[in-house]
Amino acid sequence: MNKISGRSFNRRKIFGLTVIAAAALTVAACGSPATSSKAAVATAPTVIGISLPLTGDFSQPGTQAQRGYEVWRDMVNANGGLLGHPVELKITDDASNQDTAVADYTRLITQDKVDLLLGTFSSLLNFPASAVAEKNGMLYVEPAGGAPTMFTRGFKYLFFAQPAVASAQADVFVNWIKSLPVDTRPKSAAYATQDDPFTRPVIESMQSQLEALGIKTLYSKVYPAETSNFQTVASAIAAKKPDIIAQGAVFEDGVSLVRSLRQVGYSPKALFQTSAPGNGSQYSTGVGAANTEGVFYTVSWNEKANTPLNKEFVAAYAQKYNNEVPAEDAADAFAAAQILQKAVESVGSIDQTKLADWLHANTVETILGPLSWDATGAPQSSFILAQWQSGSVEIVAPSAAATTTTVVYPKPAWK
Amino acid sequence: MISLVRALFSGRRALVVIFVGVLILYPVIRPYDIYQQTILLLAFLLAVQSVSWNIISGYAGYISLGHSAFLGLGAYTAAIIAMHTGVNPILLAPIGGLVAVLAALVLGSIVLRRRSHAFVIITIALLLSAQAIVTNWKSLTNGSDGITLALPSWSRDIQAIPFYYLFLLLMLITVVFSAQIRKRKFGTALLAIREDEGKAAAIGVNTSFTKIVAFCCSAFFIGMAGAVYAYFITFLNPIGMFNILGSVMIVLAALIGGRGTLWGPVVGAIVLQIAGEAANVYGGGSDTRVLLLGITLVLVVLFMPKGLLPTFEAWWLRRHQVTVEFTNQIGALGKGRLEFQNKLKLPTPGAEPVTLLDVRGVSKSFGGLTAVNNADLRVQAGSITGLIGPNGSGKTTLFNLITGVMPPDKGEIWFDGKRIDRLKPWERGHRGLGRTFQVTRLFNSMSVLENVVAPLPDAAWRTLLSSAVSGHEADRARHLLDYVGLASFADQSVGTLSYGQRKLVELAQVLMMEPRLILLDEPASGINPSLVEKLAGVIRDLNSQGVSFLIVEHNIPMVLKLCDPVIVFSRGSAIAEGKPDDIRRDPLVLDAYLGDEWKEAPAAHLRPVTELRNIRGV
Amino acid sequence: MEHLVQSLILGLLIGGVYALMASGLTLVFGVMRIINVAHGALLIASAMITWYIWRATGIDPFLIAILMTFLMFGVGWLLYRTVISRIGAASVSMSVLLTFGLALTIEGLLNVFAGNKFRSATPSYFDQSFRLGGLIFPKTQVYGATVALVMLAALYFILSKTWTGRAIRATSQNPTSAALIGVSATGVAALAFAIGTATAGVGGSILSVLYPFFPASHYDWISRLLGIVVLGGMGSLPGAFVAALLLGLAETLTATYISLQWATLVFYMTILVVLLVRPQGLFGSQLREDVAA
Repeated sequence: MNKISGRSFNRRKIFGLTVIAAAALTVAACGSPATSSKAAVATAPTVIGISLPLTGDFSQPGTQAQRGYEVWRDMVNANGGLLGHPVELKITDDASNQDTAVADYTRLITQDKVDLLLGTFSSLLNFPASAVAEKNGMLYVEPAGGAPTMFTRGFKYLFFAQPAVASAQADVFVNWIKSLPVDTRPKSAAYATQDDPFTRPVIESMQSQLEALGIKTLYSKVYPAETSNFQTVASAIAAKKPDIIAQGAVFEDGVSLVRSLRQVGYSPKALFQTSAPGNGSQYSTGVGAANTEGVFYTVSWNEKANTPLNKEFVAAYAQKYNNEVPAEDAADAFAAAQILQKAVESVGSIDQTKLADWLHANTVETILGPLSWDATGAPQSSFILAQWQSGSVEIVAPSAAATTTTVVYPKPAWK
Repeated sequence: MISLVRALFSGRRALVVIFVGVLILYPVIRPYDIYQQTILLLAFLLAVQSVSWNIISGYAGYISLGHSAFLGLGAYTAAIIAMHTGVNPILLAPIGGLVAVLAALVLGSIVLRRRSHAFVIITIALLLSAQAIVTNWKSLTNGSDGITLALPSWSRDIQAIPFYYLFLLLMLITVVFSAQIRKRKFGTALLAIREDEGKAAAIGVNTSFTKIVAFCCSAFFIGMAGAVYAYFITFLNPIGMFNILGSVMIVLAALIGGRGTLWGPVVGAIVLQIAGEAANVYGGGSDTRVLLLGITLVLVVLFMPKGLLPTFEAWWLRRHQVTVEFTNQIGALGKGRLEFQNKLKLPTPGAEPVTLLDVRGVSKSFGGLTAVNNADLRVQAGSITGLIGPNGSGKTTLFNLITGVMPPDKGEIWFDGKRIDRLKPWERGHRGLGRTFQVTRLFNSMSVLENVVAPLPDAAWRTLLSSAVSGHEADRARHLLDYVGLASFADQSVGTLSYGQRKLVELAQVLMMEPRLILLDEPASGINPSLVEKLAGVIRDLNSQGVSFLIVEHNIPMVLKLCDPVIVFSRGSAIAEGKPDDIRRDPLVLDAYLGDEWKEAPAAHLRPVTELRNIRGV
Repeated sequence: MEHLVQSLILGLLIGGVYALMASGLTLVFGVMRIINVAHGALLIASAMITWYIWRATGIDPFLIAILMTFLMFGVGWLLYRTVISRIGAASVSMSVLLTFGLALTIEGLLNVFAGNKFRSATPSYFDQSFRLGGLIFPKTQVYGATVALVMLAALYFILSKTWTGRAIRATSQNPTSAALIGVSATGVAALAFAIGTATAGVGGSILSVLYPFFPASHYDWISRLLGIVVLGGMGSLPGAFVAALLLGLAETLTATYISLQWATLVFYMTILVVLLVRPQGLFGSQLREDVAA
């Protein structure tokens, strides 16, 4: 006789379970939609939700951005807060990962129900993050993310806190080359860029503009984001001996290429890099202080600029962070927060739609200078051309913002 | 109505009904819990992938660490088409599924032809290659810029609910699909492949074809889910969509819940998704996510490789014991004649003997060792041919060559007038060649009945899709089990059987194929003498219905009584063939195998055996 | 033309380093039939430890490699005894899952303790190169390749001239027979795993100088190493050596003349093509089909 194992449940048990389940659900029933307004208590903090790449590929600019935001918060709270409420920053780490950035902003919006948002670093991360904000109808001011494709989506709540989009960023450098007498102009160029939605448009627009000027392209390659060994690139470039080397770098890759160029012993007449040289002492330690001489880059900000609150920003940053000079990314973050602050104060509430409308219609004075936007959120100003000279950074163009008239050209050999 | 309710709430189904019911009702009761709904819908998505993964990796045992590639394929397909035509990606889901299946078909046809221990590595390489290709094929995919889709058109406040139900629906459909596969002979074929691919081939399973089909099945719903996912996330990029961690999550979910079970991957997916989110929020964010994934994977593989559901089930069974039965020795093989469905042609007495199996000049070497050396062998239709010889003389290798386990180095093998040495093992099985093994090879994870149902006598789709638990095939299997005396063991696990019982099950398996020629490899070893007698009786009975036999045996008395002719094998080739009495006296044979003592006093050697006959309980 | 020669030499130099890294992986497979997917993570762990020691003491990373050999030998032994040996006779697939979990665990630990930042050890001669005619050989590459070759020679010596080595080779070819002549299978397995991890130790030290790395870099490395081991033939050391040189060349030439982006694909394609067309690789042996149960 076989006794089959008792797999049948007691009828009563089932009924009991169902009742309990139904009861639990009913008790827990209902909830309120996300868009219903909350009663604002006078001293309740205004919470700003932010996700940043504090670790991973973009950790360098990410941590700088965090600093910028924090300096802003301290300043605002020392001056009475935002609309009378103290500002609280809720910053999470997305580890330079897009999916994490999306999840972070989704949680900040739908679970933590933050009052306002500020953007993350890099076009790669801001791309999807801004979509989350737009989907939820929240204002999204980003300190980075200048890839042109960011602004072709018809978003209403997106604003870029830098002077121009990526494809316009190289213009000031091209203009400088145009300003040189024809016989001293560089004759050839090599281009290498990371496969990044921001760096590529910068270098690609530079390449087409310089080719139109008659400067021959001897080398043009795109490298994957995870590339860590630049010897093949460096030796290939060195073999061609171009006058200019232009690199679309984020940070690590910029440092690595300089190192590799030193290893193969080739120094071009002019070296242009995006972003990387804007990282102050990190950059000069990475490539060697003497080797920074003459490196060009475009920048959205300079610590010596005479823009409103800039001196205070630099001073506050130095005090908080070991007398360091702020990196450009910190300044951009500060500016993004300034924009948000100005909109809130002008509109007088945190109604996201009103804030977006106000920003579309107005100009904001920031430490980067005055910024205004078109309907897509793309800013309308231009970048400035910076160069490392004698161990510190000078602005060489446009003349209105220039801090010196000397331009180091050609670049001296590696030390 | 009452009976429907009663049916719904009986036994295990009750759990399932409650479970599904809660999931369906949750957003109705709490419509504004966007965050919680998001976690659950991501869990459903993971479950779709895990349940699908289970088909090729749980059932068939070919572990894939690249399965998230199908999600990426489906997502990108829908996104690219949506980008160019403006159609809502959700409507493109079937196309996403189709593309995934096509990819699986192409890749599977290349990769799954042979038995491969390296499949897992290949899948990793495929996933990473897909990532690289999608990144670099800018004109199609926008590369690392990614593709952005329009935002969903419904209200913000309930933004997650449509996706919740879409993914829940997909998950339920996938589970039903998986259940259907499991219940059919397609499912038993997959389990057979997992346990013992060689044996599966021997019982008529076209392993290449079955694996490829399984691989395609495991891709379809993931591809569909990918399209919906694209619409959900609104932004696709190669690194996120073809991420190996995604594949790790799929595998982990199935392992946690129970690989190879039906609902295991679902349970595992929900547990993993919720635990992952909890770790994210409370455990220090993405920093520790990788660490926790890694530790969990190591612990699960080492200490709970079966997963939650089977462990729970085992615990449950331990508390609800089953009594084990002994084989009814009297009943075994005594239930009268076995009638074959397809009557075999009986040899007309007095006519020319027809050669059924013809081995011509076959040789096989392994490195420096020649196992079979230019062997010639013929089995006449309708005969019971014995094959004897010392250990290491190459008999089992010869069997392996005949059934197709490996190709011969030289020579030809003809069966029923057609050359078969180039055919795959299952093709030979379909032509009527069956075989048992020296050490029984059964499928331990299946029940006795499933083991007997598993063989596929032909290559027809209808057979593959027929039910394994009820209907025509199952009835045949039960009949065969009854014949060998194991009818009451039908639902027991094969692992609980004794050696003799296993041999009987293997015999039933072979008979399921209704073969014309059965190769028996030491059928009498390890079973008691009365059963040996019974077995000989069965062989004679089947032979009288037209089944031919080629039997390798060391039990000489049995061979001499049962077989005619007897072929003697030594050092890789046949050295003698003839009637049993002639073989017994042949000096060559005695020298090579039987030994001189045999000639002198055979009876003396038999005495100890007959004395034992009176002892019961042996 | 000069550029081609330059590329070829760079490719060979890096191939030598790859050969050392791959040797441990193929050795472990040969003896235990385990594909240790954590080998890449062990490389990175060693690189990280080397980096910290270099930062704290200033000792040349290539010298730290000697210390890492012994340290990682111990780590490997421990790992085998506590984790790997438990997998028993399970299938290849389960061992891949287990070691993958191990890799993730190591990456996670590195993330937590060291942080997810790029690191690179830069000894004083980092930016210098040897010049020969018009050809340039960065000193780091040359030193790295030298250390790798020395270690490979030492490995070869151990395997062919010592009793331990012969025991390992015997177990690799036929564990049952080896056991019969007195070779303890578990002892040999632990030893082989420890030696394999030790090679990862040296490889990691070299890596810390040649490539900036961060915890998740192990994916790139294990892809490369799997490609090499599969091409050379799983379990064959000479195969790993030849395959490493070939693939080092292929990678460099692809990066130089075709595109950097396709360079990474070289290794994946190798894995796929070899496993499908000639699964035993260049020098691996074919298993007897019917013995595998």
